[in-house]
Amino acid sequence: MGRYILKRLAAAVPTLLAVLTVVFLLVRVVPGDPAQTILGDQATAEALAALRARLGLDRPLHVQYFEFVFAALRGDLGNSLVSGRPIIDEVVAVLPHTIDLTLAALVIGSIFGIPLGIWAAMHRNRFIDYVTRIGSLLGLSFPVFVSGIFLLLVFALHWRWFPVIGTSSSADFGDRMHRLVLPAVNLGLIMAAYITRVTRSAMLQVLGEDYVRTARAKGVPRRVVVWRHALRNALIPVVTVIGLYLGILIGNSVLTEIVFNRPGLGKVIVGALNQRDYPMLQGLLVIYCFLIVVVNIATDLTYGLIDPRVKHA
Amino acid sequence: MKPAEAIDDIADAPPEPRSALVRAFAVFNANKTSWVGVIVFGAIVAMAALAPLISPYDPIEQDIIARLQPPSAEHWFGTDMFGRDVLSRVIWGSQISLIVSIASIAVALLVGGTIGLVSGYIGGRTDLLIMQAMDVLLSFPSLIMGLIVVAMLGPDLINLIIAIALTAVAPFARIARAPTIVLKERAFVEAGRALGFSHIRIVLVHILPNLLAEVLVMGSLWMATAVRVEASLSFIGLGVRPPTPTWGGMINEGFENILDAPWLSIYPGLAILILVFALNMLGDGLRDATDPKLRGE
Amino acid sequence: MRISRRAFTAGAAAILASTGASAQQQPKKVLNVGMAAQDIGRLDPNYATTTIDLVVVGWMFNGLVRFRPGSMNPETIEPDLAERWQSSPDGKTWTFQLRRGVQFHGGYGEMKAGDVVFSLLRAADPQRSGFAADFRAFDAVEAVDDYTVRLRLKENVPSLLGLVTNYHGGMIVSKRAVEERGERFQREPIGTGPFAYGELRARQSLELVAHEQYFRGRPKLDRISYRFIQSDASRDLAFQNGEIDLMLGRQEQTWADRVKQIPNAAVDVFEPGELSMLHINVTQAPFNDIRVRQAVAHAINREELVRFKGADVSRMPQSVIPMGYLGSAQAPLLPFNQERARALLREAGHPNGLTVRVIHTQLPSMLAGMQVVQSQLRRVGINMEMEVVEHATFHAQIRRNLSPIVHYAAARFPIADTYLTQFFHSRSIVGTPTAVTNFCHTNIADAEIDAARVSTDANEQRRLWGEAQRKLAEQVCAVPMYEGLQVWGRRANLEYGHPLQGSLSLGPMITELTHFK
Repeated sequence: MGRYILKRLAAAVPTLLAVLTVVFLLVRVVPGDPAQTILGDQATAEALAALRARLGLDRPLHVQYFEFVFAALRGDLGNSLVSGRPIIDEVVAVLPHTIDLTLAALVIGSIFGIPLGIWAAMHRNRFIDYVTRIGSLLGLSFPVFVSGIFLLLVFALHWRWFPVIGTSSSADFGDRMHRLVLPAVNLGLIMAAYITRVTRSAMLQVLGEDYVRTARAKGVPRRVVVWRHALRNALIPVVTVIGLYLGILIGNSVLTEIVFNRPGLGKVIVGALNQRDYPMLQGLLVIYCFLIVVVNIATDLTYGLIDPRVKHA
Repeated sequence: MKPAEAIDDIADAPPEPRSALVRAFAVFNANKTSWVGVIVFGAIVAMAALAPLISPYDPIEQDIIARLQPPSAEHWFGTDMFGRDVLSRVIWGSQISLIVSIASIAVALLVGGTIGLVSGYIGGRTDLLIMQAMDVLLSFPSLIMGLIVVAMLGPDLINLIIAIALTAVAPFARIARAPTIVLKERAFVEAGRALGFSHIRIVLVHILPNLLAEVLVMGSLWMATAVRVEASLSFIGLGVRPPTPTWGGMINEGFENILDAPWLSIYPGLAILILVFALNMLGDGLRDATDPKLRGE
Repeated sequence: MRISRRAFTAGAAAILASTGASAQQQPKKVLNVGMAAQDIGRLDPNYATTTIDLVVVGWMFNGLVRFRPGSMNPETIEPDLAERWQSSPDGKTWTFQLRRGVQFHGGYGEMKAGDVVFSLLRAADPQRSGFAADFRAFDAVEAVDDYTVRLRLKENVPSLLGLVTNYHGGMIVSKRAVEERGERFQREPIGTGPFAYGELRARQSLELVAHEQYFRGRPKLDRISYRFIQSDASRDLAFQNGEIDLMLGRQEQTWADRVKQIPNAAVDVFEPGELSMLHINVTQAPFNDIRVRQAVAHAINREELVRFKGADVSRMPQSVIPMGYLGSAQAPLLPFNQERARALLREAGHPNGLTVRVIHTQLPSMLAGMQVVQSQLRRVGINMEMEVVEHATFHAQIRRNLSPIVHYAAARFPIADTYLTQFFHSRSIVGTPTAVTNFCHTNIADAEIDAARVSTDANEQRRLWGEAQRKLAEQVCAVPMYEGLQVWGRRANLEYGHPLQGSLSLGPMITELTHFK
């Protein structure tokens, strides 16, 4: 198992390196000057040049590139140009918010999505199935910022059940959860829509497999077949999708964070882009891609737990 | 293991496009939801095409005196912060959503499809390299990628199309590649090769038609995504130039006025929802129509 | 289970206090501020440039002298860290006597002449300051003794006291803290002001604490929580729900009117007015033809713009520099006249109008005003295509002459010299090594601006500045649109401790006297 993980990580290195390069170049092709965002609009061209020199931005691109890559390989992502603080610190500071939101959305999505999907599959082409399918399709169709605004309008403005600001400055757990509800529901419902659909189609597929039919023919009760045979196999694609969806979640979390005014990784990425904070943007995307790799490996490992037949060669 | 890939079910015989289409239509026809999708989508296309005729006001003419008016008989959807008619802007806004989504998906389909076909057909190390590049592309969150590309190129119609197309190239490449690999080993393709057909002919005549169905499904589903990404970019403030109305841009302006004028965000929000929903229903119906598993039952 | 009555009430009170609803009993000691921000940038006064940073830096630092709190009129300048000062007859040597016993935050000891010399030299050093150019005229800064600082100038400046106020590089930092903290000083600076850095909650808030040994007395407030709430709507809601007491508002009449309706709420509108202007590149066709520039000027309806922004929160500009500055004059601005605009376009050989492509920032407040202008220009046949880019790109591109018309909104130090030099002196033309923000590429007022800067005769100086403004307006180098004022909302029972008319830090000054009634 340990060797398998190592092998997978090693295989990811070229991809990560390619990502590093693409990110490095992309970020520098974007017009805009970090020195200007730091010094403001009254700065003279001379002052800007002086700051660029101090930040090392006047050196040839390849020098900056190799420095960045070697430092990154050592695990050093550098300091933010804007705040001067280490990027790792900045990320660690907002990570809990992102994890809160992502996990909560994942939980909400699974709690609603998996049972609904199974239910719909078992009542294929009946009323319940249609309602579930249309409902999940509707959930998929909501742009997150639209659903977020609707939730705000109804639950925070009209009924005033929840606060508007998605985070509190107090450390109180209850308060933190209270403020998490709307953003998490916003992402969670969309997630639930995805999971419902995948669960349903996976269940349908498995229910059509020979061994399930055989089991049914042998007189094994339907419930037992569903729970013991079908579900286990159907969960594999569901887990894959949850893994895949983590990537989409980041994109969607940017918009959720904007609408609900929450700190988080997505918002930091957008902020770094706006301020042309090159090292910050590079660092964030590297961390992000690393997370994706880890999630992918974790997803594969989960297969093993669900279905022992999947071997890690 | 990829649940969506039903490679094994592709018939071993050369394709018969017409009968396949007829059959697909029958299944599509049986699925009522897909018809709803088609009708709604068609209505939105018609609305976009007829915008100059049906919109009650000029969508960009300002009337500062009449700003932020709530919905009324005169302005069904109210007016925005510049006194412009929201209904007219919603109607005109459909044009941008449709143009951007259709064009970007067409580009992604063309570019991604070609990459996938060629990569899968050539195989070997080239294939590995190309697919790894696609993985890199895939690993960026599409919204962040769109943001960077638009920031780099500047936000206008063409650049938005490029940015959104870029986010969808990799999935199309994957879709085109998987069946190509299987098909090129099949008897009828090998026979063609033995007969001395050119590679281009083999790809065009024997492989391409087999991909059409799945690509169409993906196309309509990704179009829904494209509409959402365009709206999201506009919402963040990187959309088509003002005063051109876009739904995402309208929500962006409306969100800041949400306390004074909720209608500014509600109507364009519903418009996006309806378009995306219609495209998803359409895609769903198409998927059912083309999925061999479902077809057999 | 029995709970004693007292314990119960105490618990209830604690709950009430935590929700911020117990203001009736005891005056609140914590000020919650809502700012449109994701995070702070740099709190080192030499690098604080955004509104986000300037506002708090204003609460944490002192200068040798200060604008009277609530004012930004140079005539109100009064002693701050310096008790008194003298200047030599030629105006080139200045001696400041420092106040004794002023303590830095965080136990960094007494503020002495060494800190002042260090701070001013640091502010004048381009390697350590973004405002070095302001201190160009400095020849030497030295400590005569622990409580006396002497300043020598190479040439006269319009206002030496202006340079050593509690503004930008004039703020005094702790030498020891800068040296010890290094890069950390950018976020956790040490000054002498009424409030000190407490804690930075990443992407959520900056917590300031009262400076117990503040030389004017311990502040009445215990803490300030400076919350980052980017969206206007969210800030409004948080204010409405009592989550914040003071907030950055929106430069809009509807906003001001609505906030006034909230119980126990007040709206503050104050100086500086940020002057929004169209800077026209006079060297680029078709705008090298003055008739085309005049046509643009005649097409602009300032009255409509002010109606759009709101009569309480904006006003009609009078010149190519903001009003109320030392040296502001009434300039001959062209009146709104669409007929004349069309005629001028015809004369200039554009009978069918013309199309111009400009680059504009996505900043909503600026974009909204520009969309009104776009529509006004359209009515006389000028089709303005706007390429809306995000703010950093905007700043890069307008400095590379990519936009023949630049919409810029700015307030500067309230002396005509600063604004005129940065926007209209040929030394500031973008693209040159000394560039600042001269987007119109003009040099017609160089002589007046230069002569006024070193003039020792106040009347002559005013005349020269007035002449410069007249020339620039006549040549239509820039077309003023509107002046937008600073707009904040607050709880009505929050007392600043001074009347608020203006603030160079762009936010209300929170001093030792600020409290809740």
